[in-house]
Amino acid sequence: MAAFEKVDFVGRWRLWFTISGVFLLLCIGAIALGGFNLGIDFTGGSKFTASGVEGSPSPDEVRDALPEGIRDEALPPQRLGDDGYEIRTPSLSQEENTEVQQALEEELGAEVSVTSISPTFGGQIRNQALQAVVAALFIIVLFISFRFEFSFAMAAMAALLHDILLTVGFYALVGREVNLVTVVAVLTVLGYSVYDTIIIFDRIRENTPEAGYNRRRYNELANNSVRQVIMRSIYTSVCTLIPVTALLLFGESTLSDFAFALLVGIAAGTYSSIFIATPVLCLYKAWRAGKNAPARGAPEGAEAR
Amino acid sequence: MSSRRNNLIVLGLVVVLIGVAAYFIFVRQPVAEATQLGLDLEGGVSANLQGYKDDGSEVTREEMDLASGVIRQRVDSLGVTEPEIQLQGQDQVVVNIPGITDTEQAIDVIGRTAQLGFYEVLAFAPNQPLVVSEDEVEETKEELRSELEGDPAYEEGTKILFEETPTLEGDEVQVQGFVVPEEPGVRGDALETASITRDQSGNRQVQVDLTGEGGDEFGDFTQEILDNALTNGTTGGARLAVVLDEDVVSAPGLNQVLNGGSFVIENQAAGGLPEDEAKELEVVLKTGALPINMDVLSVTSIGPTLGSDSLKSGLLAALVGFGLVLVFLLVVYRVLGLIADVALLIYAFLLWGLVVAIPITMTLPGIAGIVLSIGVAADANVVIFERIKEEIRRGKSPRTAISLGYEKGFKAILDGNLTTLITAFILFALSSGSVRGFAVLLTVGVLLSMFTAVAVTRALLGVISDRGMKLSAPMVGVSKESIENARPARAGKAGAGAR
Repeated sequence: MAAFEKVDFVGRWRLWFTISGVFLLLCIGAIALGGFNLGIDFTGGSKFTASGVEGSPSPDEVRDALPEGIRDEALPPQRLGDDGYEIRTPSLSQEENTEVQQALEEELGAEVSVTSISPTFGGQIRNQALQAVVAALFIIVLFISFRFEFSFAMAAMAALLHDILLTVGFYALVGREVNLVTVVAVLTVLGYSVYDTIIIFDRIRENTPEAGYNRRRYNELANNSVRQVIMRSIYTSVCTLIPVTALLLFGESTLSDFAFALLVGIAAGTYSSIFIATPVLCLYKAWRAGKNAPARGAPEGAEAR
Repeated sequence: MSSRRNNLIVLGLVVVLIGVAAYFIFVRQPVAEATQLGLDLEGGVSANLQGYKDDGSEVTREEMDLASGVIRQRVDSLGVTEPEIQLQGQDQVVVNIPGITDTEQAIDVIGRTAQLGFYEVLAFAPNQPLVVSEDEVEETKEELRSELEGDPAYEEGTKILFEETPTLEGDEVQVQGFVVPEEPGVRGDALETASITRDQSGNRQVQVDLTGEGGDEFGDFTQEILDNALTNGTTGGARLAVVLDEDVVSAPGLNQVLNGGSFVIENQAAGGLPEDEAKELEVVLKTGALPINMDVLSVTSIGPTLGSDSLKSGLLAALVGFGLVLVFLLVVYRVLGLIADVALLIYAFLLWGLVVAIPITMTLPGIAGIVLSIGVAADANVVIFERIKEEIRRGKSPRTAISLGYEKGFKAILDGNLTTLITAFILFALSSGSVRGFAVLLTVGVLLSMFTAVAVTRALLGVISDRGMKLSAPMVGVSKESIENARPARAGKAGAGAR
């Protein structure tokens, strides 16, 4: 608690925004340069998961087990745990899927699971996923406007966009596969991050006096509100990050993918509700007050204690 | 005192709920069978199909209902346990078949339109059948196609269909092409039944019987083909094509009117039709044609080993995470943490009871939803407890601090949980299959956690203090120094806006 007593969450917004900005630039750069590694959920294609592979073959040997013709189209086989392999190919017909499945089962002595998604369906899933994210953002803004006020919704929105960009940016950065699970994780992060922001906003709302807006007083109040709830923010993040980390370490591929996105998103969400949402709220309030009464222009650094 | 009575009512309710949950989990059936596992944890084939019509018109809900009825009959006749068939949206159907891994067979059975039609053969290549190896089938079809497109019989309103039959030895394929009218002369609606039989030499074949009416129609149709052949001066060349979907099953020559309405689907390879294929044909013909065509959008087959590995790792992750959260709360909040831990254990048990009672099929994303809801449940307690600690630091007695903590913390928890529910609803509304499992469990978990983390912990705390146990500041994790430190700070802040 004492450690945060001296931190000026609102006044030093330039520092907080710069820290985020560096990460955001890194993420945007990664997205622009490398793009996403889209999974078959979105592009269509087939995925073969061999479990219990005998004799620990090398990826090249696994590749050789594929039927001719499909071998050249397949992406390099990926190791999965101790005795598993995952192989992705472009969209195949049902006969070809079975052919590959049987070939792998025979050559590797493994149990082979197949997922195959047609490209049209991949497009559908992609659209649905985008719709879901946009709908979620929209409804959350409405909800906060209704429960709080519009300026709070604006600030929450800024924090949310920050969290989404960071989460997907990290995916691009480390080259993990973006699939339906990623989108679910992003939506979950949205809900979580808003929750975090709401706890702070709730305290600001509670502390706001009846008297009219005064920039200096409001910023001080926002700072105090953050100080009052910051331990809670950190503890709840820990409470959620503990099971999520367990998922990342012990879960197999789907669960660990999901956990990875949540780990990044929740960390970003905790940071953004404290260091992005609150300063944005104060800056927006100040900007609006300044617009309404342009004569009273206090210098920027004056209220930073 | 009414608050004391309320506390006892809440705790009594908890005991009853635990009893009910225990009944569902342990008594109603062996505990190992209590939880219904999804395909991704148990193994099986899941397919997502989309209905469409040849003429491109929109598929109606009624047609999808009919189609899913036919699919259900077909899957049932495969003899698998508890298949699941669900319509999704306007024109999609999801079919989950546990316990099998052969996707090709599953798709052939559930996705085949199985529209039977009888066509008059207008022309065929004189040099056929062509015998080729399996790899050359497509190539050969193209050759035959270009040859037949040059035939005068090929004109507007006709199409070319092919027949593929394995040779007697079974290592090569006979390919034949036929020019037939666009629409069949008789449709297979009039089909009575289909059954697997054997011919004189014991080869497997599928016998198809038509209804009485269909038999008459079929007889008239063969008469018409013979008449046409007579008019064209090609007597002896009259030929009938039996077509299933777009494949010619057989194209026998006609030399007399066929009455009785029964024919066989066979091939000349040793042993006749392969067993799988014969079974599939029997099933799809018996259950009748789908009213619409089906496009395969996605197919997933999960092997039983992969499924049980996923289940084990998911459960391990959930348990480890759960255990660490319990420890964390205990370390940070001492006595309060202990109460929160009890509430979390109650939460976990009741959630399991709900999953079994409703029942919710447990899937991998579902496990993720549960793990996350543990965080949400613990979070509600953190919000309240932090508030309590804060009030104690401000110099309130623990008892007053507790009631203030719940009062003021609840509003924030409610708002926060509402946003989680909003995202869960959006996920449910806009997604399909596995993602829904996540949304459902997150929703159930959040609702249940509102009860256990707020009402149950409060009642527990109330009962404890009624028993005369006094909570001191250190017992809830607040050090003496921080109370003294906070006092002047609070006095100083009073002017700066804190009410």
